[in-house]
Amino acid sequence: MSLAHLNGGQQLAVKYYIVAVVLFVAQILFGLLSGIQYLEPDFLQGLLNFNITRTVHINAMIVWMLYGFIGSVYWLLEEESETEIVGLKLGNLGFWVLTSAVTVVVLVFLFIQTGPGDDFTRWFINEGREYIEAPRWADIGIVICMLIFFYNVAATFSKGKWSGIAGVLTLDLVALAGIYLAGMFYTTNISVDQYWWWWVIHLWVEATWEVLVGCLMAWGLMKTLGVSRKIVTTWLYIEVALMFGSGILGIGHHYFWIGTPEYWFSIGGLFSALEPVPLVAMVVHAVYDSGVRHSKGNNNPALAWLIAHAFGNFFGAGVWGFMHTLPQINLFTHGTQWSASHGHLAFFGAYATIIIAMFYIAAQYVRGQSSFGPATLGSGWKWKWALGLLNLGVVGMTVALLISGYEQSFIERAVGGSTWMGYFAAQIHPWFIQGMEWRMVFGLVTTAGIVLLVWDLLTIGKSRVVEQSRVTQTVS
Amino acid sequence: MIEPVELKDFFIVFFSGAMIIMSGALYALLFAWSRLQSKPWMMATAYGSYGILFISVLTLGSAAHLNGFWWWLVIAMLVGYLLAPHGIWKLCVGTHTADENAYPPVSAEETDNSETSLKSNSQKEAI
Amino acid sequence: MSSNIPWWSSETFWKKTAIWVTGFMFLVLIALTVDTLPQISVGSERVPAYSVINKHISYEFNDERNFQVPVIGGDDPLFGKMLSEEEAEALVTHGKKITQGRNCMGCHTLLGNGSYFAPDLTKAWLDPAWSSEGEREQMMIDFLMHPQDNARSFGSGRTMPDLNISEEEARAVIAFLKWMSSIDTNGFPYSFTVIDKEG
Repeated sequence: MSLAHLNGGQQLAVKYYIVAVVLFVAQILFGLLSGIQYLEPDFLQGLLNFNITRTVHINAMIVWMLYGFIGSVYWLLEEESETEIVGLKLGNLGFWVLTSAVTVVVLVFLFIQTGPGDDFTRWFINEGREYIEAPRWADIGIVICMLIFFYNVAATFSKGKWSGIAGVLTLDLVALAGIYLAGMFYTTNISVDQYWWWWVIHLWVEATWEVLVGCLMAWGLMKTLGVSRKIVTTWLYIEVALMFGSGILGIGHHYFWIGTPEYWFSIGGLFSALEPVPLVAMVVHAVYDSGVRHSKGNNNPALAWLIAHAFGNFFGAGVWGFMHTLPQINLFTHGTQWSASHGHLAFFGAYATIIIAMFYIAAQYVRGQSSFGPATLGSGWKWKWALGLLNLGVVGMTVALLISGYEQSFIERAVGGSTWMGYFAAQIHPWFIQGMEWRMVFGLVTTAGIVLLVWDLLTIGKSRVVEQSRVTQTVS
Repeated sequence: MIEPVELKDFFIVFFSGAMIIMSGALYALLFAWSRLQSKPWMMATAYGSYGILFISVLTLGSAAHLNGFWWWLVIAMLVGYLLAPHGIWKLCVGTHTADENAYPPVSAEETDNSETSLKSNSQKEAI
Repeated sequence: MSSNIPWWSSETFWKKTAIWVTGFMFLVLIALTVDTLPQISVGSERVPAYSVINKHISYEFNDERNFQVPVIGGDDPLFGKMLSEEEAEALVTHGKKITQGRNCMGCHTLLGNGSYFAPDLTKAWLDPAWSSEGEREQMMIDFLMHPQDNARSFGSGRTMPDLNISEEEARAVIAFLKWMSSIDTNGFPYSFTVIDKEG
């Protein structure tokens, strides 16, 4: 694959994208293993216990999405700043350091797994806190790599041209890196531990990541549909105001049951009800724009994934989130498969979809195609089936987990009084087991989707390049 | 203070919660569409959706015991969802006045393909 | 044309609004954090001192608050040994570090957060699964040390893997669990049946 025609930032971006796809595949494989363990508890027990397969499943997800975001920012950096990237070599170094660190962390998770209850374990094996299990040395490595990334972004914009998107993006990266620090200390007090842990998890996923996606979308709309910069920038600011306005204190809905005072009920409930407001704004604005502009995109797979993003974000974050967010009902759903159901659809809909769209935008440039439409892609069955299978798979898993969680909130929580016996009574109920079986079925559908997606990304637009080069050869 | 939902009301709470978000979005969609195409009858369907939202909010309010302080949440949702599309529409018109090619919105003969263009533009939803 | 833009939809207005809204919300979060942290510090009303493991802990319905709250009773030292504040802190700290090192959150939830493959541990100390208060400590030690031989899977076939937990480590984990059960979690988990209080 020749990348000589790409700019420096884009070449770096392709590297990040490749690792992102590899980790995406790993996420799904370890998700499959975890799913099997629900049905066959003895499967791999003693070798790869559920806590290991599940840890790799969720960490691979967080890290591939981060790689996707970093790649996407590097992709647009030179065009948006109208200058060459400042520290390409440093950026490359950062990429290799981060990738080596991630590899070591995963190998340690898989082969060393756990350790004694001392500081060495937390520094070098496993921190044992959901989503941020990476040991402390890796945390520090991640922060250093994020600082390199931040330096490249800020310095390149400073050398070239600042824009509204550049400003929001840079400030968002400061917040992204800063918030990670909130998870980097030890305390025995588990209430305080989880208080700050939510700063990392919630303020990343429901605030800074959302704004990062907003920046990517703003840039993408300007580039692909020719929307004016002034309008795009104004709307980026409006969305930032709405998302941070509702999302920052929306953290309250995680502070109902961890020991924090009762006033968090009111704050969490109120701001959770506000969190769908940005989604309503998006609906109105999309309709308005459809009326004032009839331009069509030139990259059908990317466009399709962006539509999947719109729907996935709306249902996953909006509908699935609000259904169980008020404390009056969250008391019965917190820590059940409800959370898993919401998590699957929201992460996929809000983030996986848009990063896949960015993959396709990159693929179009890498393969040197003027457009990704029927003329260049033919029937495009691979990308269409990948799109269909991945979306069907995730939606299917979400619904299956919802049924299990629904049953759990009744049998385990309301009737069983949340004891161990209540917990297992819910786990052996036919609704729960059938939910898990269907989750497995749709997990396999998702796997078929990722196989096709990888195959498609490796080949899309290639044959046409071959034809073109043949044509040029004949002509010359 | 909260009063937890009773077992028999679980489904009602989940369902009305989902309906609030979905009818809220449908109301916004139909509202914007009606404004765009100057079709008053469509505005009736938009307010019909808001009616569903209204009922859903009250249902959720009674099933989840949203009394006392929580009553304000019910009021906020009722008023907020009603006014938000109006405000956002005004903003759309306002922000687009700078873009000469983009204003005024489409005329009637262009609307026949608006469904396809809506799809192709739903990617703007993150902006 | 740009002069036609009303002030409330101009780029500069929304830029300022975005900055002010973000700044304001963040400041409110900081203020709430400053208010909350002392209320959840160890030794506060909501999060008792580590030496609470010397006491009897229960979980009873509170009419005023409309859910169950932890109730700290008289002396009931863990493993029959009264500990000083420092000793208790050292033991609970060791226990917490073990739960992190063994990645307990990879299967269990603590305060409802974690994974959903195994029971919630928030009130595990108070769970009727440990037969009676008299047998509880020994049963918990046996279970943690040899989870396969003492499986408590209630017909699900799911067992805890052997994580090579020594007796000393098991005692520390139990101290951590006992302390955690004394945290006021606003009634989570709800309608929980407490050991020796069945029926």
